[in-house]
Amino acid sequence: MRIPFVTAASLAIIWPWLSTVAFAQQPNSADSTSSQAKTEASPNDLEGRKMFSSNCGFCHQDGGRHAGRGPKLSKSERSDEFMIERIKKGKTGSMPAYGAVFNDAQITALMAYIRGLDD
Amino acid sequence: MTFHERYLVGCAALAVAALVTVSPTRAQAPTQPQDAALNAEAAQNDWPTYHGTYKSYHYSGLDQINTGNVKNLEVAWMHFPERATRGLQSTPLALDGVLYYSGSYSRIWALDGATGRTIWSYAPELDEELVAKQTHSPYNRGIAIGHGNLYVGTVDGRLIALNLKDGKPAWDTKLLDSKKMTVGFTGAPLVVKDKVIIGAQGGEWPHRGPIFGVDGKTGQKKWEFFTVAGTEEAMKTWGGDSWRTGGGGGWMPGTYDPENNAVWWGTANPAPLYDWAGADWKKSGPRPGENLYTTSVIALDPDTGKLKFYHQELPHDAWDFDSSVGEFVMIDRGGKKLVVHANKGGHIFVYDRSNAKIENVWQLVKNINFVKSIDPKTGELIGRRDLSEGKVDPPLCPAIAGGISWNSGAYSPKTGLFYRIGQEWCMELTVEKSTPVLEPMAQLNIGATFKFIPPPDGPARGHLSGRDPVTGAKKWEVQYKYPPLASVLATAGNLVFVPDSEGIVHAYNAETGEELWSRNNGMGHNAGIISYMAGGKQYIAVPAGWGSLVADEFVALYGEPFKSMSKNTGALVVFALRQ
Repeated sequence: MRIPFVTAASLAIIWPWLSTVAFAQQPNSADSTSSQAKTEASPNDLEGRKMFSSNCGFCHQDGGRHAGRGPKLSKSERSDEFMIERIKKGKTGSMPAYGAVFNDAQITALMAYIRGLDD
Repeated sequence: MTFHERYLVGCAALAVAALVTVSPTRAQAPTQPQDAALNAEAAQNDWPTYHGTYKSYHYSGLDQINTGNVKNLEVAWMHFPERATRGLQSTPLALDGVLYYSGSYSRIWALDGATGRTIWSYAPELDEELVAKQTHSPYNRGIAIGHGNLYVGTVDGRLIALNLKDGKPAWDTKLLDSKKMTVGFTGAPLVVKDKVIIGAQGGEWPHRGPIFGVDGKTGQKKWEFFTVAGTEEAMKTWGGDSWRTGGGGGWMPGTYDPENNAVWWGTANPAPLYDWAGADWKKSGPRPGENLYTTSVIALDPDTGKLKFYHQELPHDAWDFDSSVGEFVMIDRGGKKLVVHANKGGHIFVYDRSNAKIENVWQLVKNINFVKSIDPKTGELIGRRDLSEGKVDPPLCPAIAGGISWNSGAYSPKTGLFYRIGQEWCMELTVEKSTPVLEPMAQLNIGATFKFIPPPDGPARGHLSGRDPVTGAKKWEVQYKYPPLASVLATAGNLVFVPDSEGIVHAYNAETGEELWSRNNGMGHNAGIISYMAGGKQYIAVPAGWGSLVADEFVALYGEPFKSMSKNTGALVVFALRQ
């Protein structure tokens, strides 16, 4: 069963009070956002998933639940800090740098989607 | 001048004379491919253009290495490129005993074909910040030679000409705004008469996928043809403004038919890859209509860039089975002048090369369910399976990597057989509605999530078959546990060479498919293999080096040996007969 996740829209709204660093420094933040999301589903919930499908799904298969060109992301033990850094800066020969493409709110929405993934 | 001075001068003169006499590269001034060589069936002493010759056989007329002595083939020399990010994916060229090849970041090496000695090298300064933002990068798949120059495209949107003798830049022309489009050039250019022709990356990238004609001597852009809505007729096949972000492109080189003065080029798929309109695709969805000239073969006038004729292999391609893959094999049979072209979806199309009218369509791979069939008389898709938003059931076959990948097959005029790799795999797919992202720079427009799975009839696998190119009648087939992703080479020595994904180069009897020789290069292949003559001796050259986008799927699909296979490295391995 897929666990619902926080919407990009709602994250964008709370963004002024939630810096990337603060987000990254809270190791359990993903768990808490996932649990919040369970009660906050709306049509806009799909934004993180849509962004992921178009930009990330080419390499991270099955919406991030399965390895492909890139690694499996669901239940990843990598820290938020590491993943946000990787999204922004990429890795030569493996992953493009999205730091100039996505703003922090969008990256947060992607992270919320990734952390909400079941297997 | 003293006696001593005279002695030194004399020695120096002798040394120069000896160098001129001994070195094959100094004895013969580099020339450019001659029309006769380019139009021949077989690449003879040289390999002057990406597909061997304009007939695109990937066939060498050399037979020093043959079925009788191939067992004595061994490594003659090797070359190791710098910064082989994503391995090596290019097809070398050879001319007058010199081998030229490209690596990632469009780096070029000119090497003595007999010894491997470096003659010159070139590394362009690329926009590294842009390269770091690209997915389909920084590999390069090939080069072209003509007008005393070597031509190479770059992932930051340039076409560069280097002096063939010394590698010094002759001109450097910016053709694409890659900072906005995100993509550039990875495919080899093609020299036709006074022009250099090169196609842009595209497909899932929301632009209009241009192909350019550039003056070979000056670098001046002479024409640009948009594979998306490139004519008024084509514009009508895109609903609303969808043509503005239609994708397309021509990321692999085509070839030239001098009789019809036609440049044949295969075009890429439209964007988004997976359309959610279902059966109503002519009127609704993200790109309503047939989406000309994506997933098509087009014939352009090399002098003007005007479209002469075309055939759209998959109207409104909803599956990412583009026509960019596939060489254009020119065959004359029974008074007909034909061209054979492989489509990524797994079908082989046979055309009349004067007008691109369908002569036949046959199926190379077994596991295809995006259509029930393709009419062999008209090319019409029968029982097409258009997708709607949500989970696609049953899974789509073939998978996104295609039934046929982008590297080339080979045709032997000696056996009359076409040797082509096919891939058997499928994928689970969930179609998602997407919106093109253009700012601050274009982003992939996929419109789905997916996962590779084995096909219904067995494990995910590959095969090489020797077939009649016009009818598809199969004479022999070899199965592979892992689909080979490199090009195939046929030779007049009655041999077919297949560099495979595990790292082994195989040589087969071209008539029977019997394996006669193999050699492990230590890493997978996703490049082009060629043969050439240097100093009166035949060589086989194959770039090894793993890491193409399709190759990257192998870890999840197969695990080892791909999980542990070195990436971002490579070697050009050159074989010759033991003395």
